[in-house]
Amino acid sequence: MSNHPDNYIKPELMACCGAREIKDGDIVVVGTGFPAMSANIARYTHAPDAMLMQESGVFDARPARPALSVGDPCLNPGAAMIGGLTDVMGMFLQGGWVDVGFLAGSQIDKYGNINTTVIGDYEQPKSRLPGSGGANPIGSLARRVLIIALHNARTLTEKVDFITTPGYLDGPGARERWGLPPDTGPQVIITNKAVMRFDKETKEAYLESYHPGTTVDEVVKLTPWELKVSEDVHETEPPRAEEIRVIREVIDPHRMIQIYEKRGYV
Amino acid sequence: MGKVMTTADAIQKFVADGEFLFIGGYICRPPFAAIHEIIRQKKRDLTITRSNAADDFDMLIGAGCVKRFIGTFISLGLYGLARCYRRSIEKGIPHKIELEEYTNLSLPLMLMAGALGMPFVPVKDMVGTDLMNIKSFMGDNKYKMIKSPFDGSPVMLVPALRPDVAIIHVQQADEDGNAQMWGIGGDCKWGANAARKVIVSCERIVSRETIGKDPSRTIVPSFKVVAVTEEPFGAHPGYTPGFYDADLSYGYLYKEASNTVEGFQAFLDEWVFGQKDRTEYVNHYIQKFGYAQYKKLQAKFDYGYPVSYAY
Repeated sequence: MSNHPDNYIKPELMACCGAREIKDGDIVVVGTGFPAMSANIARYTHAPDAMLMQESGVFDARPARPALSVGDPCLNPGAAMIGGLTDVMGMFLQGGWVDVGFLAGSQIDKYGNINTTVIGDYEQPKSRLPGSGGANPIGSLARRVLIIALHNARTLTEKVDFITTPGYLDGPGARERWGLPPDTGPQVIITNKAVMRFDKETKEAYLESYHPGTTVDEVVKLTPWELKVSEDVHETEPPRAEEIRVIREVIDPHRMIQIYEKRGYV
Repeated sequence: MGKVMTTADAIQKFVADGEFLFIGGYICRPPFAAIHEIIRQKKRDLTITRSNAADDFDMLIGAGCVKRFIGTFISLGLYGLARCYRRSIEKGIPHKIELEEYTNLSLPLMLMAGALGMPFVPVKDMVGTDLMNIKSFMGDNKYKMIKSPFDGSPVMLVPALRPDVAIIHVQQADEDGNAQMWGIGGDCKWGANAARKVIVSCERIVSRETIGKDPSRTIVPSFKVVAVTEEPFGAHPGYTPGFYDADLSYGYLYKEASNTVEGFQAFLDEWVFGQKDRTEYVNHYIQKFGYAQYKKLQAKFDYGYPVSYAY
């Protein structure tokens, strides 16, 4: 097998992009799907001491199959600790221990603000979505937030209809003004087309790398805000052989990740 | 006076129209036997709360039992958006519920404050977002921003919640109500202890002696509990660690049914109004889907090292 086998699917590439953001020893709050996949790829490759927790109250779960929700029965047996929401969201997240959080949303803007509450007007909604759940506290308090999104003009938007979860709000200094902890906030938006990183000065997401099969122009065209492009923009590194092996042999032998292709992550 | 009673009696005696209920669960241990009884008894104008609500809350909303919901999130998990909830908010069917929205950090802490007798609690989330701009029946008391009296930094305060009744489903309890739970907790312990009275639904009633073998697992003490109901399989289609798995195919059935008002009504007629109690419900389940499917959900045993508190 070559170093970069070419038979991967886009969700696998995205999961690897997420994994590469995780450092050894990080405390990571995960949900299901991509986040759990990314965190586990990291654990089995470069970050064996990364520690995972679920907001429902679980620390260091050892599930026998991929969890379908953060309350999944398979998270119980084998975990190192089980408590409740005030343990993980309170003691660990608000307590300042969480390094990485993963979030997704129906709408995401250039400052990394996320909407999971409502499409359209709040009082007269076009579509009522589930709400914050743990997203707002994770976006408020985790040191580095990784955002997973579909790259289209419906999901990415100049301005979200409702800020459920804070990115950089209305730009530089906003998080600090509201008293959010220093050195927290979104790091990257990982889409099915590209990786966008947040500029340290302007707090806007810019294009860092485009996935194989697409181009800078296409990504810029698909992005509804005026997307700045990094001077050293490059193609995203495809999944490495070792990452693919871990995904397919260890984490997800039943290939549940393929469901994301049906959801448009192609 | 004995606290052990049927779920029907417990709901009739201790849940009144217009009351404020905490309903525990997190896919793990939703008290579905009690949920169905609330719907059967046509309770109205309830205020309900829990972090991360799911099909049980959706059903109560669709059945018209709910006036107000203090929540953070509601979905059918794997099966997407909560259909009855959406119809209520988007189309006013059966009526538009009033909604006060918090997060999975702030709401559990509000219940914790209620349990600890604190008037309010500072939280570090929610600030700067539109969650501050939406206020419903709690009005300006949804939250207050203050300057910290210690260092002048901005701090959000949210009020304590004191539900009238908490309804929880646990693995085991004794006849006096000492309730023992294990596995994913969600906000169950704080929610139960924040309430003025607690209805404990459990998989099995055990002796006081059994409770004493592992007292660290007790999440609610007897003196807070007004009713104990024994409801095996009582959290189905949710799961109870050590007893049975989540029933995903039944979850799919509910999703499909609740896609339409008619489908939802037919679901209630079959699974709620058509069954007198949980025993009939379980029998109906076995009749409809077969014993094999029921049996498949039952947990295997995998005991750990037994604990000892001896000295």
